[in-house]
Amino acid sequence: MEKSCSLLVHFDKGASALANEIKEALESNDVPAKIEAMKKAIMLLLNGETLPQLFITIVRYVLPCDDHTVQKLLLFYLEIIEKTDVKGRVLPEMILICQNLRNNLQHPNEYIRGVTLRFLCRLNEVEIFEPLIPSILSNLEHRHPYVRRNAILAIMSIYKLPQGEQHLVDAPETIEKVLMSEQDPSAKRNAFLMLFNCAQDRAINYLLTNVDRVSDWGELLQMVVLELIRKVCRTNKAEKGKYIKIIISLLNAPSTAVIYECAGTLVSLSSAPTAIRAAANTYCQLLMSQSDNNVKLIVLDRLNELKTSHRDIMVDMIMDVLRALSSPNLDIQRKALDIVLELITPRNVNEVVLILKKEVMKTQGGDLEKGVEYRQMLIQAIHSCAIKFPEVASTVVHLLMDFLGDSNVASAMDVIVFVREIIETSAKLRVSIVSRLLDTFYQIRAARVFSCALWIIGEYCLSLSETESGIATIQQCLGDLPFFSISEENEVTDDSKKKSQQASSITVSSKRPAILADGTYATQSAASETVFSPPTVVQGSLSTRNLRSLLLTGDFFLGAVVACTLTKLILRLEEVQSSKIEVNRASSKTLLIMVSMLQLGQSSVLPHPIDNDSYDRISLCIKLLCNTDDGIREIWLKSCHESFVKMLSDKQWHEMLEIKAKTQISHSQPDDLIDFYHLKSRKGMSIVEIEDEVQDDLKRATGEFVKDTNDTNKLNRILQLTGFSDPVYAEAYVTVHQYDIVLDVTVMNRTKETLQNLCLELATMGDLKLVERPQNYTLAPESSKQIKANIKVSSTETGVIFGNIVYETSNVLERNVIVLNDIHIDIMDYISPAVCSEAAFRTMWAEFEWENKVAVNTAIQDEKEFLDHIITSTNMKCLAAPSALEGKCGFLAANLYAKSVFGEDALVNVSIEKQADGKLGGYIRIRSKTQGIALSLGDKITLKQKGSS
Amino acid sequence: MVVLAASIISKSGKAIVSRQFVDMSRIRIEGYLAAFPKLVGTGKQHTYVETENVRYVYQPIESLYLLLVTNKQSNILEDLETLRLLSKLVPEYSYTLDEEGIGNTAFEILFAFDEVISLGHRENVTVAQVKQYCEMESHEEKLHKLVLQSKINETKDVMKRKASEIDKSKIEKNRGEKGGFMSLQSMGSGRIDTGFGSDTSISSNSGGFGSGSVFGLSTDLEPQSSNSKGRPPASASAPPKGLGMKLGKMQRTNQFLESLKAEGEVIVEDVRPSIGQSKPVAPPPSDPVTLTVEEKLNVTLKQDGGLGSFDLQGTLSLQILNQDDGLIQVQVETGGNPGILFKTHPNVNKELFSGENILGLKDPNRPFPTGDGVSLLKWRMQSADESFVPLSINCWPSVSGNETYVNLEYEVPPMFDLQNVVISIPVLALREPPRVQQIDGEWRYDSRKSILEWTIVLIDNSNRSGSMEFVIPAVDTSELFPISVCFTSTSTFSDLKVVNVLPLKGGNPPKYSQRTLLSTENYQVV
Repeated sequence: MEKSCSLLVHFDKGASALANEIKEALESNDVPAKIEAMKKAIMLLLNGETLPQLFITIVRYVLPCDDHTVQKLLLFYLEIIEKTDVKGRVLPEMILICQNLRNNLQHPNEYIRGVTLRFLCRLNEVEIFEPLIPSILSNLEHRHPYVRRNAILAIMSIYKLPQGEQHLVDAPETIEKVLMSEQDPSAKRNAFLMLFNCAQDRAINYLLTNVDRVSDWGELLQMVVLELIRKVCRTNKAEKGKYIKIIISLLNAPSTAVIYECAGTLVSLSSAPTAIRAAANTYCQLLMSQSDNNVKLIVLDRLNELKTSHRDIMVDMIMDVLRALSSPNLDIQRKALDIVLELITPRNVNEVVLILKKEVMKTQGGDLEKGVEYRQMLIQAIHSCAIKFPEVASTVVHLLMDFLGDSNVASAMDVIVFVREIIETSAKLRVSIVSRLLDTFYQIRAARVFSCALWIIGEYCLSLSETESGIATIQQCLGDLPFFSISEENEVTDDSKKKSQQASSITVSSKRPAILADGTYATQSAASETVFSPPTVVQGSLSTRNLRSLLLTGDFFLGAVVACTLTKLILRLEEVQSSKIEVNRASSKTLLIMVSMLQLGQSSVLPHPIDNDSYDRISLCIKLLCNTDDGIREIWLKSCHESFVKMLSDKQWHEMLEIKAKTQISHSQPDDLIDFYHLKSRKGMSIVEIEDEVQDDLKRATGEFVKDTNDTNKLNRILQLTGFSDPVYAEAYVTVHQYDIVLDVTVMNRTKETLQNLCLELATMGDLKLVERPQNYTLAPESSKQIKANIKVSSTETGVIFGNIVYETSNVLERNVIVLNDIHIDIMDYISPAVCSEAAFRTMWAEFEWENKVAVNTAIQDEKEFLDHIITSTNMKCLAAPSALEGKCGFLAANLYAKSVFGEDALVNVSIEKQADGKLGGYIRIRSKTQGIALSLGDKITLKQKGSS
Repeated sequence: MVVLAASIISKSGKAIVSRQFVDMSRIRIEGYLAAFPKLVGTGKQHTYVETENVRYVYQPIESLYLLLVTNKQSNILEDLETLRLLSKLVPEYSYTLDEEGIGNTAFEILFAFDEVISLGHRENVTVAQVKQYCEMESHEEKLHKLVLQSKINETKDVMKRKASEIDKSKIEKNRGEKGGFMSLQSMGSGRIDTGFGSDTSISSNSGGFGSGSVFGLSTDLEPQSSNSKGRPPASASAPPKGLGMKLGKMQRTNQFLESLKAEGEVIVEDVRPSIGQSKPVAPPPSDPVTLTVEEKLNVTLKQDGGLGSFDLQGTLSLQILNQDDGLIQVQVETGGNPGILFKTHPNVNKELFSGENILGLKDPNRPFPTGDGVSLLKWRMQSADESFVPLSINCWPSVSGNETYVNLEYEVPPMFDLQNVVISIPVLALREPPRVQQIDGEWRYDSRKSILEWTIVLIDNSNRSGSMEFVIPAVDTSELFPISVCFTSTSTFSDLKVVNVLPLKGGNPPKYSQRTLLSTENYQVV
């Protein structure tokens, strides 16, 4: 076990003082100078100096000083100095301080007594406190509660030491007496805590005899009572009946902390519905009454835990949880919504949706800063409700369609995607949705929303009237034709100049190339991606002309979509319209539109002409309308729809799979080991400790608790540092913890001589830092020694540890040096696969400054195989859907994501293409906020991508 | 419900001040603190971060973070309360809330942190209370100081008074020297009346009759000195009678002690050093002539049973109390051990010794010097014969599992009876004393020296051999050596005995006493 560290003070190396300066100041009679010197001495000690010569000075000149600050600093000093020798025996000079401590314990100043007692709490050496025990005990009767409570704590920590109970045999008895008569709440708490830790029976006894008064006890004491109850019930489940009553009475305590603790205790004790309900109720009350966001969030976490274990009870609490939505904090709202969504049942779905709708309305009214994001969240929530329970869709879909014209593209997109899904899944809503969509079509502002809406219109306008009004709506939105004419050219040029200015201003504002969802760089105009400002400058200046203005900015992709939709509608019209004349009229109108679009695209009024792809699609539509045949009709009217249905079912199937996978994880395997608590033995821990989850939690936090890792794993990481024929053989195994690396180096003397002052000197490269100074050892012939070195890691980066072993032999007084092998610390140990949304990935990609571009150079021939290879060798998560990676099309693009333990993000984009010669070509781009990750990951990939090995 | 640490760190994760309330290694806490700024997101409206193992609850103070590191089960409501209190305390102690300001007042802040959290548990305190605790203004201490001061003053007064009395008495003494024997009377003060018989008081009352009173004193001196032999000098039951300065002084220190005792001071009068190793201290000689035969053993036994070295040194020393008894000769008898060679003191008549075994000085008219012992005879014995070894030890350590079982056995040949045998076995520093499973005799474990001591008060025919078994955690068996042994015995190797003491001047032979002691100086099994 490493030495524990009880305080840290930042030490500025520039202001370091010399040991003898400190000594001089300590010897002087000037109290402020003494204080300063003591502070400096403590800081030097914390910084790793040992200052052995100072001890005697301090004993001689500081111990007798009666200034309070000096005495307190002295206690700090005593706390951090090394009190034992290498073998763990107490240094003889430590006896010198005993007298001083004893005097302090009998000091007339109660605060001196108190702080000294507190210092004793941190003391582990039996030899030092042994003579002080009578004084400590006498302090239990001191007049001042400050002294008493610290004395109790001191007794507790002494009693808890390995041999402590031998020195204080009757301590529990004494403390019990103290507890009976004590009035100070803090001292009482400490006394109870002492009994709780050292003589649980007595604590229980005291508790049970005072059951009636528990609710009047102080807050602090109540907390310990709850802790005790938890512990007792964990070890002895049968006992819990006795305590439930106490907990129930404490549920009405005035202190919220106690209430919170009560709820937690209840949950841990019982799974009876009443108990859980009481706990959940309590949590909900706290959720309402506490204004602090932290509390709300953590309470929501607790509720979430309850939800997973006791879903049926939590279903009843759903309305209470929903009330948390009133908080303006997005995180809280999100958490609450997450909980609620999983609790929805057919019975409560209507109520929930009602509230969600109300919340959505609210976001319309107020111009909240976060309103947009919140609305998006709500829309998504409603969306998932509607998918789970299609019967509610009818009530929400119309409301949601109001948001099609939302200025936030994302929420409008959500809505339209939602509508698309609903219109397919619930057929009876189709008619109303289509008519509604045609009504609100003109409100739509964003190009992507338009494309989606157009697709819906093309696909679901089935009846004659719908088809006709569909065509009419689109035509109306496009406005008068042509888009520009020779006679108008001047005017239009002006317009388009303005337009182009605007467009260019937009493109300037988003200079970075956009990335498509599959990770490729977008080639479409950046202007169309952004929200379009109100089209006041366009002729007619009607708000109904959004579509037209978008086209006039040069969004020909949208133009192609319009063309396709119109074609589809005409084809359908041919089926449903009996009058050939009407069909032809519509068809010719449509043709005119398409031709005008092509004309616009080729004219010089726009900054850039129509792209080939859109041109091809529009001209294809023209050809089709001029010359239809059944095969093509079939494709346009049926296959398109079929593939959409397939996509939806595929998506559902994947969701199902995920849910199945999730439920499977939680169950244990048939051949899993069963741990019997009572049979489990862990080194150095008593049974009680093993069972105490709180203790485990604490131990994990302090790093005391090391998970039982596989020893074979350990052996895999052994690194040979020197050669077998070197005078000193060394090997190390490297254990990588979260924030630190531990090197266990075994050094072996291979010679027949004694090696003196053998020292393992290490140095690091990268963001690594050595924690301790190297020590000198003497190594007997043919003997070996284990040396431990700690290295602190402060960021995710590949690091190198190198060093040498220096030693002296007995007869030759010269230093011999053996250079060690380098130890490479792998970045992979620090990153773990993580998931983030596509949108988040894109924003990060745009934000991060460091990019490392690695050209693909590999022996692997298959795109998918190469991607898998990269994923496994970088320990990242592929964000692209598996279905998107299927099939052989000769190219592949995917995003990978991982997070480091330090919370740093690592983004990787793989874009590869199969070249003519069968090899893979392309690039892997790595982006991160810091240079280290980008570089290290790049190196890693370069190293590993060759592959197949 | 435990706060692991309370810290103030900079935005870059540098710990400026940090106080840990549970045991944790430095690397761990530094790791937590350094990781924190990376974990804090921007634009969050809550102030806690959870990681796999810990929860941070924080609060920004200008360009720094004040943060609590807690375990994840910790009660958030309580932690927030604690944090709130700490955040109020920090500005109380640090005027500028930047790195430098906090750094300068680091220790004051640490003191305050200590008052708020003890052993990881929150104390129910307010800002005002913490300030009060840190100021450490104690009414009782002031009171105590006042009392102390007044005592000092009082003592000073007493001192002054005494000084003036002494001055006065000096003046009177001077006057008395001029005017006869007045001073003596004043020195003797009232006690003379009670202690002395009525006749001496008359004599002193007779004033100018100086010689008479002097005579009285000198006659008193005889019985007093004879008394003092039998009586311990400290006994104050019979106050010594005005016997000049020496005894008077003793009286005064006694009085001082008494008064101190009355004032409640604890005074340990019996400061006899505790008898550590069972080395018998020879009582002071009471006979006029004392002869001491002393033999010291230096023996090294081998672990496997052989004899490493055996070295015996002996002396015969003579101590004479009175000069008058110095003219003597000593007749001795040697045991006839062939391995022993005797050497006499250069002043001793060699022929006399080799011929008649009589030790006398070359010059028969010279007496032996008095005082501390004079060694007359020295002898030495070295041997490789195992049969001479007075005590052999067999040690059988055996390791089984992670424990070592040690079986020890001693054996003493019939010619010796040994006393106060102590066998010390070094065991490595153990947390618990070794488990002794079986023992003939007693044992004790000296944890400071990590030595197991096996004590047998007497080894005689009833227990010529004995054994002991104990268990300790596994050690290299060579660590159990050297085992050292010490003992005493009254039988010696030389078997030298004083037969008679012959006075040279005739008359009765003076009373003499003889002591014989064999002891170990360095007796080890290696």
